[in-house]
Amino acid sequence: MDVTRRNLFQILGAAPAVAAAQSQAEHAHPAPPAASAPAAYKRKIFDEHEWRTVHVLCDLIIPADEHSGSATSAGVPEFIDDWLDFRKHEDGDGNLAAGIQGGLAWLDQESTRLFQKDFAVAAPAQQTQILDRIAWPARASAADRRWASFFTRFRDLTVSGFFSSKTGVADLPYLGNKALSEWKGCDPKVWAVIEERMKNGYKSLAGEVKPWTD
Amino acid sequence: MPQVKASPKTYDVIVVGSGAGGGIAAHVLTLAGAKVCMLEAGANYNPATQSDMFKWNYNAPHRAAGSKAKPFGYYDATLVGGWQVPGEPYTSAPGTDFMWYRARMLGGRTNHYGRISLRMGPYDFKPYSRDGKGFDWPISYEDLAPYYDKAEELIGVFGTQEGLENTPDGRFQPAPAPRAHEKVIKKVSDKLKIPCIPSRLAILTRPLNGRPACHYCAECGRACAVNANFASPGVHIVPALKTGNLEVRTGAMCREVTVGTDGMATGVSYIDTKTRKEVTVKARVVVLAASCCETARIMLNSKSTLFPNGIANSTGLVGKYIMDTVGADVGGYLPILEDLPPSNDDGVGGMHMYMPWWLYKEQKAGKMPFSRGYHIEIGGGRNMPGAGTLGGSHRVLGGGYGKAFKRDVRKMYGANVHFAGRGEMIPNEQSFCEIDPNVVDQYGIPVLRFHFKWSDDEILQAKHMQDTFKEIIGAAGGTVTSVGNISRGGEIIHEVGATKMGESAKDSVLNQWCQAWDCKNLFITDAAPFASNADKNPTLSITALGWRTSDYIADQIKKRNL
Repeated sequence: MDVTRRNLFQILGAAPAVAAAQSQAEHAHPAPPAASAPAAYKRKIFDEHEWRTVHVLCDLIIPADEHSGSATSAGVPEFIDDWLDFRKHEDGDGNLAAGIQGGLAWLDQESTRLFQKDFAVAAPAQQTQILDRIAWPARASAADRRWASFFTRFRDLTVSGFFSSKTGVADLPYLGNKALSEWKGCDPKVWAVIEERMKNGYKSLAGEVKPWTD
Repeated sequence: MPQVKASPKTYDVIVVGSGAGGGIAAHVLTLAGAKVCMLEAGANYNPATQSDMFKWNYNAPHRAAGSKAKPFGYYDATLVGGWQVPGEPYTSAPGTDFMWYRARMLGGRTNHYGRISLRMGPYDFKPYSRDGKGFDWPISYEDLAPYYDKAEELIGVFGTQEGLENTPDGRFQPAPAPRAHEKVIKKVSDKLKIPCIPSRLAILTRPLNGRPACHYCAECGRACAVNANFASPGVHIVPALKTGNLEVRTGAMCREVTVGTDGMATGVSYIDTKTRKEVTVKARVVVLAASCCETARIMLNSKSTLFPNGIANSTGLVGKYIMDTVGADVGGYLPILEDLPPSNDDGVGGMHMYMPWWLYKEQKAGKMPFSRGYHIEIGGGRNMPGAGTLGGSHRVLGGGYGKAFKRDVRKMYGANVHFAGRGEMIPNEQSFCEIDPNVVDQYGIPVLRFHFKWSDDEILQAKHMQDTFKEIIGAAGGTVTSVGNISRGGEIIHEVGATKMGESAKDSVLNQWCQAWDCKNLFITDAAPFASNADKNPTLSITALGWRTSDYIADQIKKRNL
């Protein structure tokens, strides 16, 4: 059961401390800076041209839908630029950044070869024509395999950047990070769905799951 | 030495270290009336004001990802610590791959640890007698059982009465109900005849001694601002300070135990980390609880005419037989968990269910290719998203992008599970630490050099872990997404055994009271006395054994034997 901070005070002996910590956590930081003011972000890795390509690519991977906004609206380009810089320092080399920048360069080279335009300004159908070759690693041709690896890495950065943002957390949704007065365990509504799947089988994202046997 | 500053007061006891071992010693001894001086190399820490609980990963740098400076994430409670500590190097012998984790702060590693609290069982104290490998302890389960009771009642541990072989039950608070993925895994385990029972963690589900019950935010590793979980500062040290018998000195990096002409310890000398000046403190009794390897380092660096190889090291065994826990992890995707109605899966910080070792009889009958057991830790659920969330989606979806991809990857949230095997390592001659002849730390203290090697027992055990976890994932209709190799030495952060206790002064450093055979007013209350390293995580046993040792010290002081 969720509790408001006011009745939390009545429930827990040391509630003022819990409430204070929660209140501090809520108010210590305003909104994530990247999401609220992308203009204020100072790039560390990407140049102006790469920056435009990254924006286009992020939103091709995670566009806005009826649940939430797009990757760029959630500050994902800023997250990726900052992440690549972070890895550079942590790993002691810039190999991850180089691989991403190399992949972005290839998108332009391929787009220019096919359509005489940089990837970011190519028509949507032209962009997807290239992405369809590299977005499913198992289907990629031998020649495209390394670009499929690049795209997998870029997609993972976009996905984790998006779903760990404030926007993404609300989209999933993640419902925790709050004080509860009582822990009840697995929600019966959730367990009912699981039991139904165990009994009758389930058509999952990864294919057909057979009914469970004991 | 020109810069030595002597402290005029003589204490009853000096305790070096403030974690599980130092905390319990200071707690028990000050409550028994002893005047105690506790030395901590790191800074003071107050979880009430310094905990980062309730903060959002998206408000932290890099979505709170782990780094070299903060291996367990930006919000982890550890102030200064990790497998590398700035200014405090260690070295490894050629061919050794060992990682040494240290937490420099009041409370040490108790601030962030997993709080898994498993009693060692009767077999675990007599492993040599059971299978002819390693060493027996000089005490039995019955000797430590009353102290396990006391330890659980003080720190607060939840669990259930199960009556399983070599998996003693304890004085438990009620266990929290399982989450969805844990209920699914329990069902699969039942099918595979692997016991899956409520976990045993040092987190309160009921109020205890003025501490409130857990509020279920799942972030115990960030430290709990209200002390609803166990950590040494709030549970051991604050009550000890209230007795008026405890003085805590932080920024005190212990260098050596000082010795009198009679061969007794007179106190310790430490380096004040701010001024780099040496300070000496005197006491009737010295308790080392600096963490297993740090304790060995202090002893090996305590050289004198009487102890040319380091204090209490006439056997040459100080630093020998270091053990870590064997680890191997496997990740899986369980389709039955995808696209479920949203729920709050937080619960306590850690698993609500686990699998204790179950193949004792097969091992006893010689039917297993390795000698000792492991338990299985379960991870999964709709955790707070952070760096890496929903990565590797192509392994389930094949790939993709756009609206359909966004819809599908959203459905994957909460369907990833994780199994971590944590197993017993048998002590061996190739695993030890010694003083590096050349390297010193920023305080001028010679550092440790490690030697470490897994034997076939550990390697085959890790293989069994991987196979078992793959079988569980398969039986749940899932796919394996990652398979980890055997952990590196020190990676699981359960180092024990550098000053083993034993029956005789010939083949051990300490007697059954964790008292040095060679120096009767020197005691150790961290994990260095352990003669074996059962798969049961060491903190609860450190607490119980440290309590038993501290009771003995208090009794011997009263009888004027110390």
